[in-house]
Amino acid sequence: MKALIYLTKRSLVNNLKRACRKPLTLVLLIFGIAYGIFVVAMLGTLALTIHIDSPKGLLAVLIIWSIYGFLGNFMSYSSRKGILFRPAHAHFVFPSPVSPKLVLLEAAWMNYVMSVCIWLVIGIGAFTVFGIHPVKAVLVVLFGLVIELAFEIAVMVFLYTNDRLPERMMKGIRWAIRIFMAAFALAVVLYFRINGLSIESAWALVDLPALQMIPVMGWQIAAYRLILFGPTALNVSCTVLYLAVVCVSTAAAVRMKCDGGYYEEAAKFADDYAELKKRQKSGEMVWSMNEKKRSFRRVRERITGKGAKAVFHRQMLEYRKEKFFFLDKLTLISLFIAVCFSFGFGKDAVGSSEAPLVLLGVVAYVSFCMSGYLGKWETELKNPYIFMIPDTPLRKMWYATLTEHIKAVVNGAVICLPIGLYWRVPVWKIIFCILIYVVIQANRLYTMVITQYLVGETFGKTGQNIIRMCIQMMLLGAGVGVAALAAVFINMDLIFPIVLIYSVIVTVATGVAASFRFEMMEQL
Amino acid sequence: MLEIQDLSKNYGKNKAVDHVTFTVPDGQVGILLGPNGAGKSTIIKSIAGLLRYKGMIRIQGMPARSLEAKKVFAYVPEIPNMFDALTVREHIEYVRMAYGSDITDEEVAEILRDFEMEDKQDKLGNELSKGMMQKVSICCALAVKPKVILLDEPMVGLDPAAIRMLKEVVLELRSRGVTVLISTHMLEMVEDLWDVMFVMEKGHIKASHTKADAEGRDLDELFFAVTGGENE
Repeated sequence: MKALIYLTKRSLVNNLKRACRKPLTLVLLIFGIAYGIFVVAMLGTLALTIHIDSPKGLLAVLIIWSIYGFLGNFMSYSSRKGILFRPAHAHFVFPSPVSPKLVLLEAAWMNYVMSVCIWLVIGIGAFTVFGIHPVKAVLVVLFGLVIELAFEIAVMVFLYTNDRLPERMMKGIRWAIRIFMAAFALAVVLYFRINGLSIESAWALVDLPALQMIPVMGWQIAAYRLILFGPTALNVSCTVLYLAVVCVSTAAAVRMKCDGGYYEEAAKFADDYAELKKRQKSGEMVWSMNEKKRSFRRVRERITGKGAKAVFHRQMLEYRKEKFFFLDKLTLISLFIAVCFSFGFGKDAVGSSEAPLVLLGVVAYVSFCMSGYLGKWETELKNPYIFMIPDTPLRKMWYATLTEHIKAVVNGAVICLPIGLYWRVPVWKIIFCILIYVVIQANRLYTMVITQYLVGETFGKTGQNIIRMCIQMMLLGAGVGVAALAAVFINMDLIFPIVLIYSVIVTVATGVAASFRFEMMEQL
Repeated sequence: MLEIQDLSKNYGKNKAVDHVTFTVPDGQVGILLGPNGAGKSTIIKSIAGLLRYKGMIRIQGMPARSLEAKKVFAYVPEIPNMFDALTVREHIEYVRMAYGSDITDEEVAEILRDFEMEDKQDKLGNELSKGMMQKVSICCALAVKPKVILLDEPMVGLDPAAIRMLKEVVLELRSRGVTVLISTHMLEMVEDLWDVMFVMEKGHIKASHTKADAEGRDLDELFFAVTGGENE
């Protein structure tokens, strides 16, 4: 254990030292903490606004936490994915003579830190927002931090180290949990549909005795009821049952034999996680770990174009081999956003004079949301061959990014057509919106190339994105300003052509400047 | 001594290793050979305790998964993975603590000097090149002062000086009675080292030879005689 503590301590110290050497990391950390505090404060305000700032409100929060927290943990631990191992663990820790159980307990330190933070927030919220007596608030926190955490650790050890339970059975349990969680959510929705969405009906739901009778999770809820509202026959007996479960599972976890069978899944998880981080770092949109090996369609076609054009044809061939050609998860997200906006604004937007402007706003919003997406083209810059193709940098850049522009047309149409047609926006304005979307995407892409050219890897991907956004806002902001003035003083409809023409000019100029990136692999 | 008895490992329906048995006696260097997909990595990972398996693996007569066996066992994986935020020295320090190794500071300094890592001691894991990581991995394995050492493609990424040093180290370990098992494709690199060799194909040990029964034939010849490939 001493060696593992040494490992964690030195890693923390060195990371801290590195953060101090890189002020940007510290700034991001401070920003993250400030943002976290802001979100918590907003949640507190929300609780006040919707009038759940009472002990019952806190109980409702704890019920959700108990049910979804427990089941979520069970799911991740039973599939042996709840603890973050690194590939270095497989190299240095798993083969070493350290008890696999201790390895597990040490590796989960991030989970403990998260639990401590969450329970501290709950504790502070308990007596600042929910009006709980400080002693009771402390008891809630202690119960969460000691009893609940002990139970979580026991469940974690049991599920990780138990090689006797067949995997098929665990899979079945995980599916049952998924179904239970969905059914529970559905039951809550149905309950509110039948009883109406009101504080009274919510409190009636929270007070349902059946809730406390659900094994383990319900007993946990009963314990919180005991602390917050005092003893009843039901909550005392359920609390006793819960404490008994915690004691038995803790004892079982201590006594269980473990020879490190879980290292197999842990090592695989570590590799998958490292791969995920690597892909995320390079700007790819990764949705999940363990993505199944992709299958491709068979396409019998030769790459025809010459020079830089061959890059475009190669990319097109790659897309033809994809199951859904250009359509991917980004298209699905675009469609989801379109549907949300179409129906979200309801009948107010249909046929209104503001609808085209709102549509333009949606285009800008989606462009902002998708700003992290880079697409296939960026991998081109990582391969040396593109720099060796005997062609001009401008043509190389154009053909390397052409498929992205075509994809942008598809996604732009997916966003603008359903919303535009539903809101009865004139067709020419819908077309302008699609074109503006395409140009904004192209501009984002070229601005990113310039940003990378200027700052390299000094600020990391996040830093690059922030700088890119600033440059893009400066470049396009002027056009938006001019368009707004023209709209106010001349005609509202002028916004569309002005924004489009200005963006095209700026984007072409940006593209020409960005083409220098394709001159040589070595950058500034 | 390293004993593998009736080792089997399945990935789903695919049998990666099928009832494999072999032994590397004390103070001998075993070479595990085989084409890609033969099952070498599965055996190596099983010995290192990274996989579940059927059968028995013993290190110095003790079950490989026991903490006692792990104390005398060192492993150099094919792809080294450092802790990003740990320096070279801290990696060795961790190994020293985890294994309860009695290696002295002078001995650590000597190992680092041998692999030209003395001036890289304060470099963090993520600041090292692949070759340097491989050197650190070897240094850490040596810091264990093992009785059995497992080297998976140890020469990949090493510079010529480090390869020469590694060969010297392997011979020295052998002379001290340490059991060494090396898995590699670089046959010519281990030509002077081996005492016993095993050729794997499709999850089975197809042949094994000792230096004596090889009658002067080199590894190349022995390997291709079994796998049927072309001896270039």
